[in-house]
Amino acid sequence: MGLGVYFDNYIFVLLFMFLGVALPVGALTFGRLVRPNNPYPTKLTTYESGIEPTGDAQVRYHVAYYIVALEFVIFDVETVFLYPWAVALGELGWVGLNAGLIFIAILGLGLAYSWKKKVLEWN
Amino acid sequence: MVPITLYLSLAAILFCVGLYGVLTRRHLVIVLASVELMLNAVNINLVAFSSIGPYADITGQVFTLFIISVAAAEVAVGLAILIALYRNRESIDVIKHDLLRW
Amino acid sequence: MSAYNANWSLMTPEIVLGILALVIFTIDFMTGVKGKKPFLGRMSIIALLVTAVLVYINRGAGTIADIFIVDHFSTMFKIILLVGVAIVIAISMHYLDKNDDVYQGEFYSLMLFAALGAMLMVSSADLITLYIGLELLSISSYCLAGFKKHNRKSTEGAIKYVVLGGTASAFILYGMSFLYGLTGTTSIIDISQVISSLYVDYPFIVVMSILFMLAGFGFKISIVPFHMWAPDVYEGSPTPVTAFLSVVSKIAGFAIVLRVFFTTFLGSEGVLYDEWTWIIAIIATVTMIVGNLIALTQKNIKRLMAYSGVAQAGYLLVPIAAIFIPSYSIGVIIFYSIVYVFMTLGAFAIITLVTEDSGRDDFSSFSGLYKRSPYMAIAMSVFLLGLAGLPLTAGFVGKAWIFISAAQAGMLWLAGVMFVTSVISFYYYFGVIKQMFMNEPNPNDVELKAPLSISVVVTIALAVTIILGVLPGLMIDWIAYIQW
Repeated sequence: MGLGVYFDNYIFVLLFMFLGVALPVGALTFGRLVRPNNPYPTKLTTYESGIEPTGDAQVRYHVAYYIVALEFVIFDVETVFLYPWAVALGELGWVGLNAGLIFIAILGLGLAYSWKKKVLEWN
Repeated sequence: MVPITLYLSLAAILFCVGLYGVLTRRHLVIVLASVELMLNAVNINLVAFSSIGPYADITGQVFTLFIISVAAAEVAVGLAILIALYRNRESIDVIKHDLLRW
Repeated sequence: MSAYNANWSLMTPEIVLGILALVIFTIDFMTGVKGKKPFLGRMSIIALLVTAVLVYINRGAGTIADIFIVDHFSTMFKIILLVGVAIVIAISMHYLDKNDDVYQGEFYSLMLFAALGAMLMVSSADLITLYIGLELLSISSYCLAGFKKHNRKSTEGAIKYVVLGGTASAFILYGMSFLYGLTGTTSIIDISQVISSLYVDYPFIVVMSILFMLAGFGFKISIVPFHMWAPDVYEGSPTPVTAFLSVVSKIAGFAIVLRVFFTTFLGSEGVLYDEWTWIIAIIATVTMIVGNLIALTQKNIKRLMAYSGVAQAGYLLVPIAAIFIPSYSIGVIIFYSIVYVFMTLGAFAIITLVTEDSGRDDFSSFSGLYKRSPYMAIAMSVFLLGLAGLPLTAGFVGKAWIFISAAQAGMLWLAGVMFVTSVISFYYYFGVIKQMFMNEPNPNDVELKAPLSISVVVTIALAVTIILGVLPGLMIDWIAYIQW
């Protein structure tokens, strides 16, 4: 593939950029032109005909959330290995089954550790 | 079919955006997010090569799975250290962390 | 050969160390989170030494499905690393005894997992295995660097390490992704067979991927211009972790640089020989000069050791640049690695003892050490002079061998730079020695009692430094005739 072909391909990037900018801008402008404009106080509340919001929007989350979130990130991503393993288990046979079970056992050890360290308790 | 150079240039752009973020942003969470961006640029590269590369095979996708999971572990450790740092200093602004220099 | 009928027994030491690490981890959290646990430290040292013996027994050559390779090179580096980690754990037992606010058991299990990662790295014959080993080592090191979580310096050093380490990993992977894309394989052996024809077709991409990987690995072994993290992280980390970073991470990084670059980029007809030699030679020169010059201005012992470690990495790069015969260069590097491990760990054992006693880590905590503990002062002087390269220490023999190998390869200028910068390094090592012998102790510092673990480490390191300095033939003859 020559260098010319390589640079010609940038036309797609340009096209995407143009479309990506033009579509939302065009749609919003069109909407602004055709829609009626009639603001009044009730309409401007956050949830029209809903419950009045109370308190500050910027609340500090409890620190337990962060730790549980970290746990979640790790255990959630490990399923990346379990899905292909489960799909291909028939071909992998006993060796594959054992390998997967060892992996899950190590994960379980990690869970037991966080249990013992009282990460899972909500107080 | 979309040529592979497009995917590669997207990955290169993402990598550069991530590197720029690591070098310039002051908010540590965004710095960590930028590192993730760089790793995802690599993932795009690998997946592109493994599906329409000159020697396409499944290895690239397997590599990507490993990168995703290891990167998650890395960022979890990073965030845990970030929380410890915040508890010590009440700030996660890069500029304010200047105890260690020269 | 598929993964099913492969000879998995080659991986026995890794599997055993992995199981032992998990057992120690489990014992730790089952016996309560807090409290002192010296028995876990002893168990960890035994686990590491058992693994080292298994590595030696298992030294026959072979590969597992092109992902894992066992040869003389990996066996030698694994034994060096395992002994290094065992010594670091012996040092940390004293440290953890003094600091009971840190979680003791986790410290040991993280060290063991890091050792496992280093072993995987050294043995990897595949980019994926290499990455997994590298990250196992790196992530454990991030946790260890931030281990004093109520200390501002420790957490600040750790966050710098995580951010920059993650960036370095991204660089390595970006380089690897191009190698994979051009070859369709992640096996280092397969890549090495096609790299020369690849270089003819795509010179730009191949050189780019080399440079990306070099930048990432350069970070891990802290060579200039990728060294800026080292002093900050070394200063912030607990002292045994500093020892760990400056020995285990660095030697494992060098092992992998050798493995990847010798097999991949040199293995095939030396197409890239000239480019490669010049890039490394320039980096080595800059690393030696910058490391030694900045070390002159340091007032903190841990930062001094960081810059001294940068300079040592520069010396270790010299034989890589000046490849006369690859297997000869590997012998030179292995000898210097052994010497470096013992001298550095001996010095760090004494630094841990002194800084934990005084609570400060600037030079003044060393003042009058000779009057407080003559043995420790003399041993520290031997280690520092060895790192500088005084004759009759092992450091001199290592440096002389590097010097000769560079001269044989026709790179006399590189050997000259090494000589001049080594002379500069005497100045800053003498600064510490002067504090120990010439100055009076601080008024409230009394006689220093060394615990058993520190004394043993110092004595072993001292013995190796002097024996290999006086009778280097014992080891050189043995190393020089191994076909790597």
